[in-house]
Amino acid sequence: MLAFLTARQTGLDDPLRLRRAESTRRVLSLKLNPDRDVDRVHGNGVNTIDIEAVEGRYMLSGGADGVIVIYDLENYSGKPQYTCKAVCTVGRSSRYVHKFSVETVQWYPYDTGMFVTSSFDKTMKVWDTEMLKPAEVFEFEGNVYSHHLSPIARKHSLIAVGTKNPKIQLCDLKSGSRIHVLQGHRAEVLSVQWSPRYEHILATASADSKVKVWDVRRASGSLFTLDQHNGDKSKASSEAVHTAHNGRVNGLCFTGDGLYLLTTGTDDRMRLWNSANGENTLVNYGKVCNESRKRQQLTVSRGCSPEFVFVPCGSSVAVYALHTGELVTMLRGHYNNVDCCAFHPDYQELYSGGKDCNILAWVPVLRPVDVEEESNKGAAGQSSVNPAFQDTWSSDED
Amino acid sequence: MELSQRDRLSELVEELTTSGQPQLNQDKMKEIKKICKVSNDCIDHVYHSVMSQLSQEHAEVRLSAFQIASELFSRSHHFRMLLVDNFQGFLELTVETDSEQPLPPPKEVARKLRSLAIQTVQSWQASYGTAYKKLALGYHFLKQVKKVDFLDAEARTVAERRREQERRRKMERIYKERVEAATKDMEGLHVEETEDNEAVVSTVIDLYRLITTKHLPAVQGWVQVFTKAGAEQQLLRRALDLKRSLEAALQKHKELHIAYKTRVRRVMKASSNSEDDDDNDEDDDFEEVPEKEGYEPHIPEHLRAEYGLDPSPSTSAASVTTKLPAKRPVAPPSQSSYCSSSSSRQLKQLKEEEQDPTCAAATLRVLRQHFPVPSASSSSSSSGPSSSHCSSEMKPVDAPVVPFGLDLYYWGQEQPSAGKIVKAASQHQFWVPIETEEEVENDELRAESSSRYISFPGSFTPVSHYCRAPLGNGKLCQRQDRLKCPFHGRIIPRDQEGRPCSQDDRLREEQEERRKMEEQPDWRDAELMRDIEAATGENLSSDRAGKKGKGKKKKKYPNLSDLKQSANTSRSRLEKKVFNKSTMRKVAQMMSKADRRKHEKFSNQFNYALN
Repeated sequence: MLAFLTARQTGLDDPLRLRRAESTRRVLSLKLNPDRDVDRVHGNGVNTIDIEAVEGRYMLSGGADGVIVIYDLENYSGKPQYTCKAVCTVGRSSRYVHKFSVETVQWYPYDTGMFVTSSFDKTMKVWDTEMLKPAEVFEFEGNVYSHHLSPIARKHSLIAVGTKNPKIQLCDLKSGSRIHVLQGHRAEVLSVQWSPRYEHILATASADSKVKVWDVRRASGSLFTLDQHNGDKSKASSEAVHTAHNGRVNGLCFTGDGLYLLTTGTDDRMRLWNSANGENTLVNYGKVCNESRKRQQLTVSRGCSPEFVFVPCGSSVAVYALHTGELVTMLRGHYNNVDCCAFHPDYQELYSGGKDCNILAWVPVLRPVDVEEESNKGAAGQSSVNPAFQDTWSSDED
Repeated sequence: MELSQRDRLSELVEELTTSGQPQLNQDKMKEIKKICKVSNDCIDHVYHSVMSQLSQEHAEVRLSAFQIASELFSRSHHFRMLLVDNFQGFLELTVETDSEQPLPPPKEVARKLRSLAIQTVQSWQASYGTAYKKLALGYHFLKQVKKVDFLDAEARTVAERRREQERRRKMERIYKERVEAATKDMEGLHVEETEDNEAVVSTVIDLYRLITTKHLPAVQGWVQVFTKAGAEQQLLRRALDLKRSLEAALQKHKELHIAYKTRVRRVMKASSNSEDDDDNDEDDDFEEVPEKEGYEPHIPEHLRAEYGLDPSPSTSAASVTTKLPAKRPVAPPSQSSYCSSSSSRQLKQLKEEEQDPTCAAATLRVLRQHFPVPSASSSSSSSGPSSSHCSSEMKPVDAPVVPFGLDLYYWGQEQPSAGKIVKAASQHQFWVPIETEEEVENDELRAESSSRYISFPGSFTPVSHYCRAPLGNGKLCQRQDRLKCPFHGRIIPRDQEGRPCSQDDRLREEQEERRKMEEQPDWRDAELMRDIEAATGENLSSDRAGKKGKGKKKKKYPNLSDLKQSANTSRSRLEKKVFNKSTMRKVAQMMSKADRRKHEKFSNQFNYALN
């Protein structure tokens, strides 16, 4: 650490290097921290969460009972102990609340004044954050599994929507209408994701085990379909041609730079694809438990080297090294299946929501106090330790 | 950590968990704590052994392991860290948070384990909840997601509560059914119509019909007329009184719940009975007409002729009473009651019915024409000529009842075609073969057709004697076989101690005994062998000799309650039989054989379908 600092000070190193090293260290030390809590508002499973990119301060969450909550993540109290408060809630009593389970929530990438939610009640609502009222409601024929706004788009304001219908819908925020459909899938579309690198590139994952990459400017069809065997016909059985998984594909995530695409499927596999040409990089992550019939929200760290993948895996969150596929750790804390996780790029914190109604904050554990310091403090340091951490052997057992 | 400590810890944990006791042995627990105090490695080791015991499929083992864990939890920070880190798994094994993994049997212990675990988790939460985040999360999970009511004395989870409700509902349903059955029974002051009360019941029926069809409508009509016309109060009141009393009579009849026999074609002379108090003023005799097919209790006046009935029974009632004062129903009504004056009309009516092909009577007539009814069975059939009834009455009572046969058909005559066989040589339409003898006489057949087999099976006499052979326990064999006991052979007379009475039998039995003794070598006396073994220290397999080679495997943990024993239910025993491998194989073989046969037979059928 000191070496990094000196190198940084003397200008030997790129400033990015120190940052990366520290981020990586912090990600590696993610723990369930007793100092950080998130208000328990949801009375049902938490399906989806999203942290806004403008300030990194507010987090949205959508529950299986249709409730939407906004949390304040910033700790201004000056104490390490902090409970993320629920700033506002669209509860069951609100007249605008989604009737059924909320499947996806997303902040408008440029402003916290707006967010978009979609639900199994076949609607997608664009909300005004101040009023907590929907400014626009899109209605669809089937359950909405997923939607996504491009995080970098300057030339369009399209929301891609994956519904029970195999056709992907593109809704324009400017006109408030559905302007386009993308045809090609044969089953419900479970997840859609815009590329963070090219604003017209869209990836979609479907229950027909295919993942397609589209350029929305091209109407005729998808750019390519990801193939787990990289076109090797001998390995694939006839029906498995051009499939990304041997089951429903329900998780989709671009890396921060948009160069790679991660997919998870109900065949308990996770695959990493080159998003430029659709090549399977064949990184082996081992078994990634996945029984969800709906969208699963996985996420990738940013600003670390190497980068890490956080993926829900049963009742825990698995952390993998992105390019080697090595399982770094399992974050165990939920008492039921985890459905979503979101990474906070500024503080290297991870938030995860699950069916046990909890949103857990995984915060880097600060380095323990050095040994020398402790010896100075002596007995005073001992007493400051929480009494619950002390052993209480009774004397009669000597 | 030393190896000896490690071994000692494993040993202690195993001993404690397999003791089967509801409480831990304090001395052993103290020893564990003493070793654990030495270092965290020991705690690691104890933790792992406790967790492995917790995952055993035996509630007693789990309970003891849980008690060890809770003892250590309150003492060691390191143990708390370890346990809380795997708190999900711990809850699954003790509180049954995962409904896919129910707690293992025995049930009572499992219930105790769960309630103890829930209480303990609550107390842990109170003292350590703030320090151990996952503990607090687990507590909230139990409380909010699993809806465990920590105040509930039984500390039941939702699933458990639901199961309880289910059971209660089931019991309620069963009770309800029982109550219904009981009420049905209780209603049951049923009057069964029997031979004895037949006449009374018939009267009741007739009166009932009379009231419903005639008197009640009439009274109702009067009441209507009186009210419309605004007649005198006196009159109206009388009419209403009458109506009320009639209705009361009907109600009474209903409450009797008389189970009527089906009445077929029978004429009854019935006069009112003085038992029916309300109808004294309307006492009259009337005649019950035979029921037609399609029973119609209410026949309008203008349609009565169509049904072949008298215009109205009540019009001639008075005259009938005078004519037939002695024809009150006698129980049981004998055949003589059929020879009544009205039988001629009855017969006429029957004939009419016989003309109608939709009537049962028509069918009966056809049957009668083809098979003349033998006298024995005719008594129960409906309406033979009345003269035959009179003659059949003279018969002695003990004449045998035999089934109808050809010999009865040709009783007293020569059977025309007995024993003749007609040979049809060819059935061709055009070709006629050479003339052959078409009829063949067969003496055997003739004899058969004119004779009759009557078997005399005799009557069953229950066995009154016992086998009474002496048994090993000093008692006598209580089997009651007729001739031969399956254990002690032919049954012979024996005295009080079970010794055979006759000398021969006694000798034979002694011989048998001797032979048996010789089969087992006398030097293999079980007790003697054991003594020798104890002296020499060598295993001469005395226990096998003593138990005739049926040595039983010693149970590994004798203190734990045996789970297999409780599984020995009638169901499991049946399962063992039904799902026996060889049985299954046999059944499968049979079925596949049947399938194959079918296939062979019909496999080519598509040929015909296509052509």
